[in-house]
Amino acid sequence: MNSRLRIISAILFKEFKDLKKNINLLVIYFLPVLFTLTFTYLVPDMPRGFAINSGLLFLVVMMGMYVPSMLIAEEKEKKTLEVLLLSPAGAADIFIGKGLLTFISILIVSFFLVLIAGLEGSTLFIIFLATALISIFSIFVGMTVGLLSPDQRSTGTIGLPIYMLLILVPQLSTMSGQRIMNVLAALMPTTYYFHIQEKAIAQALNPGDVMPEMGVIVFSIFIVFFALVLLYRKKGI
Amino acid sequence: MLIRTDNLKKKYSSKEALKGISFSIEAGEIFSLLGPNGAGKTTTIKLLTGQLKPTGGRAEIMGREVISNRQNLRPHMGVMPEETNLYERLTVRDNLEFFCRLYDSGYKRLEEYLKIVGMLAEADTPVKRLSRGMKQKVLLVRALLHDPEVLFLDEPTSGLDPASAADIHGLLEKLNEEGITILLTSHDMEEVERLSDRIAFLHNGRISALGRPKALKLNHSPGQIEVLVETSDGLVERRLDMNSPSTAEKISSWLEESRLVSIHSCEPTLAEIFVEITGSELR
Repeated sequence: MNSRLRIISAILFKEFKDLKKNINLLVIYFLPVLFTLTFTYLVPDMPRGFAINSGLLFLVVMMGMYVPSMLIAEEKEKKTLEVLLLSPAGAADIFIGKGLLTFISILIVSFFLVLIAGLEGSTLFIIFLATALISIFSIFVGMTVGLLSPDQRSTGTIGLPIYMLLILVPQLSTMSGQRIMNVLAALMPTTYYFHIQEKAIAQALNPGDVMPEMGVIVFSIFIVFFALVLLYRKKGI
Repeated sequence: MLIRTDNLKKKYSSKEALKGISFSIEAGEIFSLLGPNGAGKTTTIKLLTGQLKPTGGRAEIMGREVISNRQNLRPHMGVMPEETNLYERLTVRDNLEFFCRLYDSGYKRLEEYLKIVGMLAEADTPVKRLSRGMKQKVLLVRALLHDPEVLFLDEPTSGLDPASAADIHGLLEKLNEEGITILLTSHDMEEVERLSDRIAFLHNGRISALGRPKALKLNHSPGQIEVLVETSDGLVERRLDMNSPSTAEKISSWLEESRLVSIHSCEPTLAEIFVEITGSELR
């Protein structure tokens, strides 16, 4: 167990050092903050909470999915994965190390978004809990895209349609009354996350008030995790 | 026997890369696979390090079958691949410390090896700013940090200038003196001849010849000697058949007349032997 923790922490530490010099990914970290700042302070007619809600959604999808997919695809493209797999590190250690970096990053950036939006009170616990859960879902989706992509460029080709659906459908469904949009939205875990945030921002909530939505997100996590495991067993890393 | 293969085969979807190769390597030996591009050298290394599964035959390291004992064997192996697969944005030190942490080997030998390969001054340089030769040296150090018993080197001096190649050769000889077993692949016959205890020629997925460099040369020698003799027209080079009775008479006579300047055996180069055996060039 100690050796597994040592290996995972070594990977996490290496990823953190590398991230500081990776301009492509650092931009992704700043975009949600920029987005939320812009809509909170420069668009006065924005409905209350829309900016922070959209900012958080953008954060969990773009950072949660894009970052791990790029991390895995880059290792495959540069062939650093081959020598990593010759070391005591196993595939699970690599996934966990890269996933942890993304997870911790999302929580830190979401803290800044919440500060920008000026949210406070019991709302915050629900927001962070929901953000943590949807992040896990997003990271698994990102890893799946990374496994499917032979190189970094392909992560965009494969992943962008997925990311756009997961970001746009929840937001558009609130504005559109069309049935097809509602059906699509019901299939997106990010829709339930969006609803949780809307409720949490509008009023004080207990965790029990959003149990059905949380339950859908947790169920989605299991689905995408099994899909990831099946894909890994079929395709390898 | 530290490394052993028995009728090892590997077939990809469109090509049979290895058609059944068998060899063994003793502990403390330097063994080279010599062959042109596409001969199956890298495939052999990947099979022995568990990166690929064979489609036939068996590979063993330290008496254990490779694929089923991959995880247990990895701490005993160091691998220097042909590609320079380092983390380019990180420094040399960051790259190496990462692998020290993975192997839980401490940093004690990191600076020692960097000093030996002449890279200590570049320890805090991002890898992307290094030349190819410098990256090769870092790759070799990375393979050594956890004190492996077996070293797999895939074209270790490919693309290097003679001075850098000599640095690496010196380190490999030193490591071998300390007891490390080395399997290296190359298409540089001078490197292979200098370093190796034994060589195997790999061509089209098969071993065409195997043995000590000297023995291979003698087995394919034309049985002639080259003599340099002083004549009235100056120094003349003559080739004589070693097994002919007249050769001994001639040499004896030149020696008595103090006209014999030098005698050399006519041995083929490994490249010439390779062409003779396989009909192909070593490219």
